Amino acid sequence: MADHARTRHAMSRRQAIAGGGTAALLAAAGLVPGAGAQARTPLLRYGLSAWPPNLQPWVSVGASAGTVKMLIHSRLVAFDQNGKMRGELAESFGRDADGGWTFKLVANAVFHNGEPVTSADVKHTIEQVAGEKSTAYMRAQFQSIARVETPDARTVRMVTKEPVATLPSWFCNYNLPIVWKGSPADAPVGCGAYKVDAQERGTSIELVAFDKYFRADLPRIERIRFVVYVDENLRFAALQSGDMDMIEYVPWQSMAAVEKDPKLKLAEQFGPFMDILFNATKGPLSDARVRRAIAHAVKREDIVKAAFFGRGKILEGVPIVEGTPYWDAELSRGWRYDPAESKRLLAAAGVPNGFSAVMLATAQFGMHKDTAEIVQQYLAAIGIQCELKLPDWSTRVRLGTTGQYEIAIHGVSADTNDPDGLTTVMDTSLSPTHGRSFGLAAPRTTDLLAKGRAEFDETKRIAIYKDMQRAALEEVPLVGLAWRSQGYGMKRNVEGFANLPGALSLSSGFMLAETRLG
Amino acid sequence: MLYLAGRLATTLALAWAVATIVFLTLHLVPGDPAELLLSTGGVSPDPAAVAELRAKLGLDRPLHEQYVAFFKGVLGGDLGRSLVDDHPVASEIALRLPRTLELVGAATLLALLIGVPAGVYAAVHRGGRFDRIMSGVMALLLSVPVFVLGTLLILLFAQTLRWMPAGGFVPFARSPGQHLVLLAMPAVAIAKGLIAIVFRMTRASVLDTLTRDHVRTARAKGLPAFTVLRRHVVRNAFAPVLTVLGLHMGALLGGTVLVEYVFNWPGLSTPLIRAVEARDYPMVVGIVLTVSCLFLLLNLIVDLLYAVLDPRVRST
Repeated sequence: MADHARTRHAMSRRQAIAGGGTAALLAAAGLVPGAGAQARTPLLRYGLSAWPPNLQPWVSVGASAGTVKMLIHSRLVAFDQNGKMRGELAESFGRDADGGWTFKLVANAVFHNGEPVTSADVKHTIEQVAGEKSTAYMRAQFQSIARVETPDARTVRMVTKEPVATLPSWFCNYNLPIVWKGSPADAPVGCGAYKVDAQERGTSIELVAFDKYFRADLPRIERIRFVVYVDENLRFAALQSGDMDMIEYVPWQSMAAVEKDPKLKLAEQFGPFMDILFNATKGPLSDARVRRAIAHAVKREDIVKAAFFGRGKILEGVPIVEGTPYWDAELSRGWRYDPAESKRLLAAAGVPNGFSAVMLATAQFGMHKDTAEIVQQYLAAIGIQCELKLPDWSTRVRLGTTGQYEIAIHGVSADTNDPDGLTTVMDTSLSPTHGRSFGLAAPRTTDLLAKGRAEFDETKRIAIYKDMQRAALEEVPLVGLAWRSQGYGMKRNVEGFANLPGALSLSSGFMLAETRLG
Repeated sequence: MLYLAGRLATTLALAWAVATIVFLTLHLVPGDPAELLLSTGGVSPDPAAVAELRAKLGLDRPLHEQYVAFFKGVLGGDLGRSLVDDHPVASEIALRLPRTLELVGAATLLALLIGVPAGVYAAVHRGGRFDRIMSGVMALLLSVPVFVLGTLLILLFAQTLRWMPAGGFVPFARSPGQHLVLLAMPAVAIAKGLIAIVFRMTRASVLDTLTRDHVRTARAKGLPAFTVLRRHVVRNAFAPVLTVLGLHMGALLGGTVLVEYVFNWPGLSTPLIRAVEARDYPMVVGIVLTVSCLFLLLNLIVDLLYAVLDPRVRST
């Protein structure tokens, strides 16, 4: 109790009041759960792009699963439609004078089984995610939490082994919902705006509103029926023919048709990006000058045109989201198209006539294949002859993780719009995976990523991350190629939904709780 | 009895061989189910989490142990559980197989309803306008890929005219009308090749029968032309059509893969493709084993019928 009192007094300017006031207000409104049910739209039909392999709360199994998980579970923190962090289960959160992070829970949240959401449930969640047997996406991050204190039922305090400025953003991840501590391992109990009412494996999932959801004004739709349309053209056809009210992953070639259709509208953001990865254990690619030569050799406009039907944006630097304070106009063009510079760098690295290499991508996703073919052409122009290897995605993953390539084409999204969200793709000190360069050392980039993570002063963080971009432009742990548009298509009468900016686009699914049909 | 036992033993041995080949092939192809599952969406999973999941799924055991465990399960009637979501493979097959068979059945029915009358009419009016037009149409149907026709049907009836849903599935018990509407376009798409085959076979067979002596005799007796056609021509000409139909129904099972994908029809093909992509070994082997057993069973029945009809077969 004493701890709690101290914490409350200690939370000061660094307290991320971000959204705290709003959350408190909504919580107050939620004293009468279910009051908003009267105005609910009966049904929204939503075309999913993939069947969620499973709905295990903490395991990362893709954005489609994430969309459903965000509705049946709640997180401590979420993003608002502008991408700003705000409390979800936490009505306020912040860092205290002793360096711990404290989260104050809303008073009226209950799980789907009627049990109240308490600090013990948050502690249980953290312990499960960080456990030795855990397969959770955030396992590594959560293992850096030294201890979790629960001074009372509504207060959770976390102390990390090292200072972490981005800890609240961890709890925004859709793979980090809070689960009831008494849940069986195979049937996690959540406290989201919806409950799963019915599902048929591989085909559809139907959710029904949870009447005791802690935000009384939500959800605004009684039922959401998710129908899986793996084929992107059929997904679009289902929207156009009126079978669906809304679809995700609008195919790039159909975006113009959605915009032209008077009955439809498009919510578009540049979120995920395409990049080049390297195996630095093979051939001349261990030399950063060769990697820089490759970075300058590709004219990105062609990728945007050919792979994304113009629905993309060139990426000639480190994938920092434009509009955030970490973005810099000059640095963002650090790898601008300059074949003369490429040739100069190759000559300086001792390979003036280029070399041969195996380029790994996958034929399973058209944008990967198309991007690879364009990159292949531009590299050939500076003397680097690439043999394309285009297996199915499963094989691509395995070959990537085991370093059986020299150059690879990849597509991914950062975890958040904060540069720390790029750690999983740019921190070369982490274990090898298909989504990071193999055997490549970029020590300055890695150090600056860690420094930025530990810095709490925003001005200093901005400076650190600009330094990190300068370091990455030289060390080249990856090469940015193109931002790709992420679009949600919907009928004109769908209201209240927002496609979150930048990397958060894939986390927009939880906005369905705030969506209604006009 | 000895013949029956021999055929049964051969069928079982073939089923085991198919399952073994699929099991081994799948394990030899690169791809780790645990890594794939945790990499969904292109994210980079924590290798420790991947290792933990691999151990949980039993994928860290030697291949021969996994093989023995799988076949022990099969012999006990258990096809195992999906590596992706722990769903029982047998229940997935039980849910999906009837839908694929329904699609094949509907396509066959369409082929008979269109192909047979059109073939008979074309044969009777050989060289006429109908015969020439239908021969051209059938050649077109045979040459158009099934996914092209499927996409055109969606474009025309769903996106442009908005008469039909673009695809999907509603159980018959929930809404018979909606179920049949959703069945229509995929059934037409998959039936198009079979319609052409049935038409051609019927036409050729009727033309052949029309020249037979018994038809000439029937005409000479003064029987009405329609009676001659119905009793003496079509009935005799139908046997080879049925034989061809039976042969092609098996091929239709394979043809459902594209149609189910294009029309989002939740048959057996979709989970098979998804399971191959995810390296969901038990699901792939279970589905392939089931379909193979269906083929083998059909072959066995045909062999046994031959033996019943022709005693010489039993002695060979």
